[in-house]
Amino acid sequence: MAEEENGAAGGGEFYLRYYVGHKGKFGHEFLEFEFRPDGKLRYANNSNYKNDTMIRKEVFLTPSVLKECRRIVSDSEIMKEDDNNWPEPDRVGRQELEIVMGNEHISFTTSKIGSLMDVQTSKDPEGLRIFYYLVQDLKCFVFSLISLHFKIKPI
Amino acid sequence: MATAADVDALDFEPDDDDLMDEDAAVDVDASSPRASAPIPKLKSAITGGSVAVAPKKTKGRGFREETDAERNNRMSGRFDSLDSDGGPGPERSIEGWIILVTGVHEEAQEDDLQNAFGEFGEIKNLHLNLDRRTGFVKGYALIEYESFEEAEKAIAAMDGGELLTQNVNVDWAFSKGPFRRRNNRRRSPRGNRSRSPRRRF
Repeated sequence: MAEEENGAAGGGEFYLRYYVGHKGKFGHEFLEFEFRPDGKLRYANNSNYKNDTMIRKEVFLTPSVLKECRRIVSDSEIMKEDDNNWPEPDRVGRQELEIVMGNEHISFTTSKIGSLMDVQTSKDPEGLRIFYYLVQDLKCFVFSLISLHFKIKPI
Repeated sequence: MATAADVDALDFEPDDDDLMDEDAAVDVDASSPRASAPIPKLKSAITGGSVAVAPKKTKGRGFREETDAERNNRMSGRFDSLDSDGGPGPERSIEGWIILVTGVHEEAQEDDLQNAFGEFGEIKNLHLNLDRRTGFVKGYALIEYESFEEAEKAIAAMDGGELLTQNVNVDWAFSKGPFRRRNNRRRSPRGNRSRSPRRRF
């Protein structure tokens, strides 16, 4: 297998963090997860609506799982994008995506994206679409991992 | 403390006349005086300085903002985990043992996985997630067995095997503790390394 240093399956650094949240009448509500280089997956979900408990879970993943996460990121080609022309975080909410892969480190921020309509009408629809789908694929992966391991329903 | 991120943030000012800084993040030359140039640090408060970060090419508005304190607050505190001794080896999930299948064909159906993996034991749970853009299978599946032995048999029999004309890899999903990265053995000695070499389970 040709595994270059920074490729999807390659070695080198890998770190990923995603945050989405807003501050409103129920306080600071957010969802955040991160994949750490030692394999630790952390997941936090804070909703102050009705019950104000914060869900915080962590579990160690095997290298195979990290590798799959890395493949998903690499296939998306998000590292080639730039958040320069994306909508800025606003009162409705903010998203943050931080990834270290090989010798590249991105830290993108943008507003919440309600639908693909928001993507189409933005100044960088191609880039934002990549972000939009990658975030959904990552959430889907993390929710499966967390719900299978802990038997909780994320969100 | 003036963090590396603070300094780095300046690189993104368009009217910054010191363009050298940007190069420094790309060209790593140990003999250059630039080697001591600021290293972008991970913004996450959780990870903080515990990750050895080589000089990186950085990009994004996130480097220009100072939200570390808030993030600290957000991710500090106790995270729940299932009891684990932290050692090597697979970790049991709350109701069983989870394995990850990768290299799954994009047109695979749940039945295909049931047929291939059901023979090692009853599948208690199967997640075959879809690519949100294409609607095809994303490429992985998570499968839960009740017993360690069933999961172990599935891994032994199916890892490297073929499913719908594609080679699949099968491994445990969860681990009792951290792993050491394969390509980082040569880095300088530091604390908190895992005790034993990484192994395939």
